[in-house]
Amino acid sequence: MDVKARDFIPAAQVALSDPALRAAVKRATDTAAKKRLATMFWAGRAHGEALRQQAAQARRRALRDLPALLEQAEAAMTANGIQVLWAADGDEVRRLVLDIAARHEVRRAVKSKSMISEEVALNHALQAHDIDVLETDLGEFIVQLSGETPSHIVTPVIHKSKETIRDLFVRELDMPPTDDAEAMTQFARGHLRRAFLEADMGISGGNFIIAETGALCLVTNEGNGRMVTSLPRVHVALVGIEKVIATVEDYATLTQILPRSSTGQTMTVYTQMIHGPRAADEDGPEHVYVILVDNGRSDIYPTDYAEALACIRCGACLNACPVYEATGGHAYGWVYSGPIGAVITPLLTGLENASPLPHASSLCGLCKEVCPVDIDLPRMLLDLRRDLDEAGHTPPVWKWGIRGWAMVARSPRLFGLAARAAGLGGRFLPPRPPLPPPLNGWTRTRDLPEFAPKSFRQLWAERQKAGKRDD
Amino acid sequence: MTSRETILSKLHAARQPFAGLPPAGDMIPVVPAEDTGPAALRARFIAAAEALSCTVTACPDADAAIRHILGLVGTDSTILSWDLKHVPLPGLGAALAGAGIAIAAAGDASVRAGLTGVDAALAATGSLLLASGPGKPRGASLLPEVHIAVVAAGQIVPDLETWLAAQRAAGLEHLRQLNSVVMISGPSRTADIAMETVMGVHGPGALQIVLVGES
Ligand code: SF4
Repeated sequence: MDVKARDFIPAAQVALSDPALRAAVKRATDTAAKKRLATMFWAGRAHGEALRQQAAQARRRALRDLPALLEQAEAAMTANGIQVLWAADGDEVRRLVLDIAARHEVRRAVKSKSMISEEVALNHALQAHDIDVLETDLGEFIVQLSGETPSHIVTPVIHKSKETIRDLFVRELDMPPTDDAEAMTQFARGHLRRAFLEADMGISGGNFIIAETGALCLVTNEGNGRMVTSLPRVHVALVGIEKVIATVEDYATLTQILPRSSTGQTMTVYTQMIHGPRAADEDGPEHVYVILVDNGRSDIYPTDYAEALACIRCGACLNACPVYEATGGHAYGWVYSGPIGAVITPLLTGLENASPLPHASSLCGLCKEVCPVDIDLPRMLLDLRRDLDEAGHTPPVWKWGIRGWAMVARSPRLFGLAARAAGLGGRFLPPRPPLPPPLNGWTRTRDLPEFAPKSFRQLWAERQKAGKRDD
Repeated sequence: MTSRETILSKLHAARQPFAGLPPAGDMIPVVPAEDTGPAALRARFIAAAEALSCTVTACPDADAAIRHILGLVGTDSTILSWDLKHVPLPGLGAALAGAGIAIAAAGDASVRAGLTGVDAALAATGSLLLASGPGKPRGASLLPEVHIAVVAAGQIVPDLETWLAAQRAAGLEHLRQLNSVVMISGPSRTADIAMETVMGVHGPGALQIVLVGES
């Protein structure tokens, strides 16, 4: 997928002026956030917090031992009968999938959700080789039909109203018009059911790989994950190299904390462990391939951003983020949005291609607080701002402004004068004044607060003089 | 160098992140429970499954369970099913035959109801754990509109943690032989259209749990 993250500000402005979009995103994220609280902490704060730390440690231990666990996972999967392949980048992922498709004479493919396939624009590559590929997660299906990209990593059409989806189905699929979400879903079920039964290849992502058992772990609510991994002859899973975990015990924690953080469910409806292709006397795919995908992850691994690789893609930080709530996901310009997107998009696609994103945060800290694996997103956003500055990607006005502030703040005399000037100057301004450029961006959408007539320093000095009478 | 070698050598050469982490210690269960006696387990399983929009019907014995299943199948002439030796209801085969109900070929997507047993039931989350294998087709719990799952009360375990601990005790080799393990927690669902919950997107829209025996 092309990276459009440099256009964050204009894209966000478009989103901000779309009240329907903002209302839809707000409603969806508020609901998810409430449900998360209810299921994460149903047995009390202390228990939920302990669980979070348990999950955080499981992911960090896995990253600590990543190369060894990848080798262990590869050996275990191979012994189970899964064919393991490695892809350094998007080109290689596409090439490997096309090779597999050619080897098994695949004409039709069905896909359950895979964020990596979005990273590497797999659908285009398949279609260019005359392979039909259909998204089967209802949200992703709608995204594909409308030629858009997902706007949330868990709920891809969070930005779309029911009416828009109805019109899309009527236009593209000849659905008899209806405003009933259930009828629309049933219609999509029929359409996609035929595709499942005809497909030669199923393509999925992977939520975890358990190194010690070689299990490919998947979760889906709709059941499309099971369809994609059970019905076609060939199953190909695209899994990031960071997804490996050590033990079945870690799996128990992580696969249960994921839905609690994500949708507020206690378990995802279909929670799968896949150990291998079908045996002679059972149903299931004849061939299972797992492609372990790097695509920039090994560059993050040795840096202070390694923590970002612990992410289990639950979406809780998106649902908590005031910036995401205002702009929705598309403004972020690539596959991942919200706080985790603001961190990994620059890391995976290059700082220069995503320079506005680390600034797209008020650093309120809620993303870290809700993260089931306790990723310090605010810390990384700040560090990325530093990196951007060092690489010369900070706009000059910001630099001058910050330098001016630093000069004034370092000198008590200047600071006092500036504060007094602000207090005095404020008296002569009309109410709600706009600031002059380049600061007018701030006052365009906000009121400049009135300055107090006396600064804190003045008040303090007067108090000291008066001899602390009322202590 | 192959991509495998490039990736692994890069990771091996890197400074190890999180080097100071403590080793994995005792873990707390995701769903803490005090009473794990059979009656408590049974009650928790029923409550959790019902909270997921499953219908749970407790039957005191096999005969009652079979009568209930025949009622669920109704006038359908075929069902998808596990091999009945994996469904803990002696007499079920004869009863189905007597009612003129045939078992369709695995993978027949035109059938309305699917019948399975389970490998375990998880009380904490109301989940059914089904492993694939000979005579246990995946399609029976996936393709039809209605999934009828027969659970013997003795198959209920506290949670996923307990089930995995038993697998570890038995040697994880056995687990690895099960090509597909799925935990099913309620009917297939989505909230993708305007956050409205709808059942039965791709998998069954109804999950009928037939719970047999007292404990
Ligand atoms: S960073 Fe944390 S909260 Fe955000 S998606 Fe990843 S795991 Fe979830």
